[in-house]
Amino acid sequence: MILRDLPALRNSPALRDRLAAEYALGTLRGGARRRFETWMRDDPALRDIVAGWQERLAALAELDLPATPPARVWAAIERRLDPGVIPPRTPWWQFWHSDVARPWGVLAVGACAAWLVLALSKTMPDMAPQSRQIAALSDAQSHTALVVTADTARGRLDVRVAEEVHVPTDRTLQLWAITRTGKPRSLGILPGNRSTDLALDARAIDPDVALLAISLEPKSGSPDPTGPTGPVLYKGSWANL
Amino acid sequence: MIPHNDQDDQLYRLLAAVAMQDRQAFRTLYDVTSPQLFGFALRVLHRENLAEEAVRDAFVSIWHAAPGYQMHLAPPLTWMVTIVRNKALHIRRRARADAGDDCLDIEAADGLADPSSGPADPAQLSRDARALARCMETLASRQRQAIGMAYLHGLSHDEVAARLELPVGTVKTWIRRGLVRLRDCLEQREAP
Repeated sequence: MILRDLPALRNSPALRDRLAAEYALGTLRGGARRRFETWMRDDPALRDIVAGWQERLAALAELDLPATPPARVWAAIERRLDPGVIPPRTPWWQFWHSDVARPWGVLAVGACAAWLVLALSKTMPDMAPQSRQIAALSDAQSHTALVVTADTARGRLDVRVAEEVHVPTDRTLQLWAITRTGKPRSLGILPGNRSTDLALDARAIDPDVALLAISLEPKSGSPDPTGPTGPVLYKGSWANL
Repeated sequence: MIPHNDQDDQLYRLLAAVAMQDRQAFRTLYDVTSPQLFGFALRVLHRENLAEEAVRDAFVSIWHAAPGYQMHLAPPLTWMVTIVRNKALHIRRRARADAGDDCLDIEAADGLADPSSGPADPAQLSRDARALARCMETLASRQRQAIGMAYLHGLSHDEVAARLELPVGTVKTWIRRGLVRLRDCLEQREAP
């Protein structure tokens, strides 16, 4: 049977496409489906063909009349996410303490940030391409407002602030590195609350750092050296480039 | 991979925030996408209570799986539709396995539903979906029906053949030709 024959699959674009379409449609079943999944693992080009078919077919879902689900559906989702009594809230920067957090989850978020940054970099053409670590910091509505790049070669921490970020004149933005145990470390305030270039503090890129965050502080920075006193406006995790 | 459009971009940003356990972003994501996903679940399951269950299960999965979502593998809505479809097909199989009226209801409704019939107002569709709707129209109705049975109802080649009372080889060929035609049609539309 041709399905068992891996070289034939590699060499036949028509067969690859047919199996990828059947896989996405769901008609590839049983052993053939499992073998196909094994091949996909080692064959990124094959995964792309499958993704193309999944995308075409998923558009079928859009052809249905939209229907707003009753409010009880959202209520049921919330109940499933918070079973029983609502527990005391974990501080936002300790999200990995929740039972769904996994190390790969943090990495994946990092990858997401890297993608966002690539999108943003179009509007920020002089971003150093050789930088090693990058973080996109977003607000609660997930609009990215800052991009931070650690350039180990130059020993600089480049902070780009989006034009639309407005800060009251008596306040300042302060940058923090948050460790995996939830300890904030100040990386400095942003002079004039605009894009700036800070000296790279080794504590910013320590492997122990889980997140970067920006808080809104009095003009001279947080009066409390151990953490932010003002609201945390933006946050995001490091991604390696 | 760059986003296809503004909606992808918005959904992508929401999913990135949901990956960081942002409940407010999750609520926005639900508000923006649940009508489309519920409409789709209704198409698969025909019954409101089952479609509600599918959407509920799918969003619980989306919350937990968001950190692993990868933009380069699928646009956000494609990823979410795939999750809803998996949940809905699972519920369908369960309902069919349970003895009783569920099974009859669902299968009777399958016969009535034309998987290719679209919403009344094409103006409400995204450009991609409009192109797909036009391309679906170029298929023979039996091809559309066979593709719809496989995708929306999770039927195998054998099951589609049994429903349509046709040889399995014929059904396989129809589906294959239908899909190729669909893709060629979509690619022509994408070309300038």
